[in-house]
Amino acid sequence: MARLNSDAQWIVLMGFMVSFALFFLAIVVNQSTVVGQTTAEAVLEFPKNDIVDMRSEVLSASALSTNNLTLVKNDISSLSLSRKNAIVSFRVSVAPPGSPYTKTIEIHYNNGVTAYNETTSH
Amino acid sequence: MVNTDGQLFTIEGVAAGLIMLLTAYIVVGTTSLYTPGDSHISDMQLEQMGRDALHMMNTPNSLTVSGESTLQRVIKNNDVDQFRQTFLWFANNRTGGTYDNLQFSADYYYRNNLANSVNQIHFTESRKPTGGEHPMRVTEWVQVDNSAGGAMPAVVDARVQAVLVEVLIWRD
Repeated sequence: MARLNSDAQWIVLMGFMVSFALFFLAIVVNQSTVVGQTTAEAVLEFPKNDIVDMRSEVLSASALSTNNLTLVKNDISSLSLSRKNAIVSFRVSVAPPGSPYTKTIEIHYNNGVTAYNETTSH
Repeated sequence: MVNTDGQLFTIEGVAAGLIMLLTAYIVVGTTSLYTPGDSHISDMQLEQMGRDALHMMNTPNSLTVSGESTLQRVIKNNDVDQFRQTFLWFANNRTGGTYDNLQFSADYYYRNNLANSVNQIHFTESRKPTGGEHPMRVTEWVQVDNSAGGAMPAVVDARVQAVLVEVLIWRD
């Protein structure tokens, strides 16, 4: 029968240390998948591609004639609202006097979660 | 008979049991977190890949201001074969080895100016979706000049316009 004695204390202590190390490593592994998932979810939710694409379309549309610009502006607003759940509006005006550019473009984008506003010249 | 022998062994046994139980709980929780229906990470990669393929197609082929992109030309001329070929090639090409097996179904949406309505045109697909896929949707704005020499379907206004190309992509 085992008796209470003070032999082999180091071995018992090492055993505890190893078990606790394993325990914390398991927590790290557990958290790593959560990190991967939440990061991917955040990337999917953020409309980076939508904004980049919309911006490039607006900038190329700004070169159109006034009539075509109005039509394309309505196209972009309607299609954004019905297909992308985003309010998009933009305005092309003459750049201020003295500016090296010819046009000033204001872009507004809002999909309820992310808002993007830009004023640019070219 | 009750005595005080073996107390250290009992305590050690209880502690070891608790540690094993907790570790098993955490490990089981870890592995069951990632299920096929919850594969956000591969979804994210698929979306970025499809978006890149579409964006490559929508990059003008020449430096002149009037240079059209492949995507603009394809939509304007209603050239479904060219779209299918180019998109599959861009999406499935790999640095080396075998081709990937991505499939797609493409539509585009346009606005009718008179009725001010948004309508859909099914463009083309590499395979009919059965409903069992887990697709990602990628979109690309395309500015098309359908006023002169355009061959878009007759329901589309004959004018310069922006259409929204939507592609569903999934891995076979």
